[in-house]
Amino acid sequence: MKRLVSLVLSLALVLSLCAFAQADDLPTITIMFHGSNVSDDSVVLEKVNEYIADKVGAKLEVIWGTWGDFDDKATNALLSGDSDVDMIFTCSWSADEFNKYAKDGYFYELDELVDAYGAELKAAIPEALMTAATVVGPDGEKHIYAVNGFKDTATQIAWDVNVTLLNELGYTLDDVKNLGFFGWGEIFAKAKEVKGDAFYPFLVEPMVAERAVTNTIIVTGDSGNVNLLSYYMNPDDLTQPTEKYGNVMLNKFATEEYKAFAETMRAYYVAGYIDPALAVAETSNDTRTNAQKEANYLIGTQSYAYGYEYSAEVTSRGIEVAYLPCTDPYVDTTVSQGAMIAISSASEHPEESFKFLNLLNSDPTLMTLLNYGVEGVQYNLTEDGLVDFYGEDNELLPGRSAYQPWTNGMGNVTILPDTKSEGAGFRKAFQEFYASGKAIPVLGFIFDSSEVETEMGALANVAAQYALALDCGAVDPETELPKFLSALDAAGMQKYLDAANEQVKAFLGE
Amino acid sequence: MQTSARKKIKGTTASLNRFGPGAQALFHVLLGLFALLCIIPFVFVIIISFTSEESIRQIGYSFHPLSWSTQAYTYTFQLGDQLWRSYANSFLITIIGTVLSVLMCFLYAYPLFRKDYGYRNFFNFLSFFTMIFGGGLVPTFVICKSVLGLSDNYAALIVPMLFSPFNIIIMRTFFQTSVPTELIEAATIDGSGEYGTLFRIVFPIVTPGIATVALLVALGYWNEWFLSLLYINKNMNIIPLQYLLMRMQRNADFLAKNSGMIGADASRAATQLPSQTLKMALVVFIVVPIACAYPFFQRYVVSGLTIGSVKG
Amino acid sequence: MSIGEKSRHGSMQGARRKKNLVLTTMVLPGAIWLLLIRYLPMFGIVLAFKNYKAQRPNTFWNNIIKSEWVGLKNFQFLKSPDTAIMIRNTLGYNILWIALGLVIAVAFAVMMSELSNRFLAKTYQTLMFFPYFLSWVVASYFVLAFLDPTSGMIPALQKRAGIPVTNFYHDTTWWPLILTICNLWKNIGYSSVLYLAAITGIDTTQYEAAAVDGATKWQQIWHVTLPNIRTMIVILLIMNVGKIFNADFGLFYNVPQNSGSLLPVTQVVDTYVYRAYANTHNMGMSSAAGFLQSAVGLVCIVGANAIVRKVDPESSLF
Repeated sequence: MKRLVSLVLSLALVLSLCAFAQADDLPTITIMFHGSNVSDDSVVLEKVNEYIADKVGAKLEVIWGTWGDFDDKATNALLSGDSDVDMIFTCSWSADEFNKYAKDGYFYELDELVDAYGAELKAAIPEALMTAATVVGPDGEKHIYAVNGFKDTATQIAWDVNVTLLNELGYTLDDVKNLGFFGWGEIFAKAKEVKGDAFYPFLVEPMVAERAVTNTIIVTGDSGNVNLLSYYMNPDDLTQPTEKYGNVMLNKFATEEYKAFAETMRAYYVAGYIDPALAVAETSNDTRTNAQKEANYLIGTQSYAYGYEYSAEVTSRGIEVAYLPCTDPYVDTTVSQGAMIAISSASEHPEESFKFLNLLNSDPTLMTLLNYGVEGVQYNLTEDGLVDFYGEDNELLPGRSAYQPWTNGMGNVTILPDTKSEGAGFRKAFQEFYASGKAIPVLGFIFDSSEVETEMGALANVAAQYALALDCGAVDPETELPKFLSALDAAGMQKYLDAANEQVKAFLGE
Repeated sequence: MQTSARKKIKGTTASLNRFGPGAQALFHVLLGLFALLCIIPFVFVIIISFTSEESIRQIGYSFHPLSWSTQAYTYTFQLGDQLWRSYANSFLITIIGTVLSVLMCFLYAYPLFRKDYGYRNFFNFLSFFTMIFGGGLVPTFVICKSVLGLSDNYAALIVPMLFSPFNIIIMRTFFQTSVPTELIEAATIDGSGEYGTLFRIVFPIVTPGIATVALLVALGYWNEWFLSLLYINKNMNIIPLQYLLMRMQRNADFLAKNSGMIGADASRAATQLPSQTLKMALVVFIVVPIACAYPFFQRYVVSGLTIGSVKG
Repeated sequence: MSIGEKSRHGSMQGARRKKNLVLTTMVLPGAIWLLLIRYLPMFGIVLAFKNYKAQRPNTFWNNIIKSEWVGLKNFQFLKSPDTAIMIRNTLGYNILWIALGLVIAVAFAVMMSELSNRFLAKTYQTLMFFPYFLSWVVASYFVLAFLDPTSGMIPALQKRAGIPVTNFYHDTTWWPLILTICNLWKNIGYSSVLYLAAITGIDTTQYEAAAVDGATKWQQIWHVTLPNIRTMIVILLIMNVGKIFNADFGLFYNVPQNSGSLLPVTQVVDTYVYRAYANTHNMGMSSAAGFLQSAVGLVCIVGANAIVRKVDPESSLF
């Protein structure tokens, strides 16, 4: 019977024997991407490794993180000091706090590597992107901690208008513009009258609507689930602060602008212009996405990206859609840290990793290969030299359907060739559009919450209780807003605000 | 035998062992209603899996969809290799994991039940303490990956769940309630070795307990997906079906919440997202095999009553 | 067997040692697993008292050793104004559900064991296990189908009857009940199968003996069934008490659709910590919360076990 025990043990042992070692001279560098939909990378990686063997002196392996898994995988890899992950996607939104990880020492300082091997990189991407990736490290000094992706470098919120329905109701885009958010009641009433009681004309992402109406930004480093801080932009001149508030961080929910917004939303909600499901966190997104797909709305919100109106998602709605921007495109810290690749400080091959990132961001051949795949497998070239992922039967090529990385998460997208669906000249127009983005006064400001983390946790929970319902009008601001504000005060809002404003002052004083 | 003698004296035991029709009917109503409550959500899942996308977009999840569709299933079959491979992985992981785990549990719990075992308290505490205190996610990950080499292999999906202090206590309780100490003493006097006693004499008596623990363990393995997320980075050929489903679910959640940040790419990704109906079809795929395996375990759990254990 | 007193003593000792050795080989696989996968990572508990950061060189061991000690700073999440509510909810729901779960699961197990129609008994039991297959996310869709303000079945019925429609996801009134039903729905099948298996293990001659003595069926249950599954009841009870400060995250987060307005009745320790620190990945604070839950659990288990040991030493956990 002891044999049985030893059998169990040896079986467990055999099972745990990991993959055989690779007999290769070149070191392996591993990169973890976000948002991939890749099930077969063999052909591409073979070509990539052929191409980079001499140029980088390493062999590349890729961990294709997906949208849903990346945060957990990345957090785990970074916190555990995993030396098997050399390069990792990072950004300032979602839960991938670039600034926090940099400050806590998880990323490798790239300053010397950029000087030694980064000439091509510096030439390929704008100086501003390098600056955005230069943040405070564990030593309290600023260093470059990531290779910043050159992609949509400005941001803009827009109202998404169902023009087809609008015209049917006897209104024009100009009416929507002129009446403004506070005056849309009459259009909504008309829509309700025509389309029936079960129709909800105002399809908002409530927190985006709040920023759209008040012209405020997401402050980088603020509590993530529900933002607590507001910085008011000056829509007349985005590069200047507002006269009313100046360069100050405000309690998002304590301004009169917020109160006016919440009251109007309440009026719209009570009148039945807003779907109640939008006011519940977990049903909000599904409801909005579904109604959008069905073109079942009149006015909605959209964080706009260039070319969005031509994307399949919008064209498949079968209606004419127009985007009314709330401001000109602007550049804030969050968007300037939108998609980057950092090198882990646990990496054993930082030099090779940087050489690879340098090449990836400056060499169109490598970028195209890793992003679009191999010609003839993942795509074909049209006569005009456009990349076409579709076969003659108008179906996605099998190679492509098994290999779809997230383009914007990889690096410098401006060196990619145009695709057939985007049309010739798209990349150039894209670049021009984003070059027009205006830098707001607090561009580069990063709120460091480490001293008020306990307060932030408590405030996040208070905000989770009230903010969405108020933003959506599901509860009455007359009674709930004062309750919310006093709950915030009890949870330490003033201390949080003071910390933020002290840091803003220090930032602007530099 | 004594038993049959009693039967003769007092009539049939069957009548003695049962409640009257009134009580029986009441039991049926209570149990039946609860069982219904338990199965309806699954029926609901099946309905959704056959609902058309348009219907979901218009009226949400409903018991009476506007229109029906088998699209989710045709799409599921188009997943082809990926689907069947992960299906096979689920079976492989569950079967190997359950066999090893139950064996380990059986072997560990038995000495803890033996009052004459010298280190009983020590090993009992060794197991119990881990039920309350743990090192946390990241430290465990580090040990498993860098010390034990659990990464990108089947072992990574099996070993971390091999042992459960909860099941040890359950198993030990089954030993306590159904194995008389005299039986073991008698076997020892007859010259049976410890392993011989355990497998030849004790094992048949505690089959209900073993079947119960096996069921719990099998369910645990079958439903597990987080281990795949943690330990499988490159070798996607070995992921189980449950992880395939969870990944879709999590992708959809993430995209919906961050659509504003990902830019135009998100729209492309969003159009490729599997629909709700597909997710429900996968739930059906996941539930059906384990539900079919259930009677196998149940044979030992429920029918045991009529067999009973032989004593004296 | 030797005859002399001395040698007999010696051989008994030898036999005991051999027996202990053989029995130890049985626990060995499990013990090794426990040491490697449960005890080795336990150094991680110190994270609750440290400000964990990457150090140079960045390896996990080095990071843990060199990170700064911060005393009880990570436990400050307890200073939130929400603390009283989340503790009340966590303990309140757990106590209620432990009691309800115990009574209903035992009752169901006894009923199933007494049904004369074995086929139906098996069917009930199979069906009861189904909730265990469905995740809370899926279950939340089901709840939504009933409660959704626009297309849900209950609001639709209310509309048809002309009653004012309840906005369930903003009205806390019904949620203690809804959460209780969901919890029982999910867990009764699981625990009743444990009790049922314990009943199955009861020696049938005990019933026959009771029947001979003229005991009614109810008396048989009281005097034979319950005493025989007492150990299982007590053990499960003690283990549940040990989890009294933990909550089923999915039940409190997904089932109410993470609706903010419901937080007064759905906020528990686990959801609070998640909402507070999910975005900052503060390992110190999440470790601290975990440590606190474990410590409370340990105190409760040891307390419950001590009581049981006084009353019924046979059933105690250790």
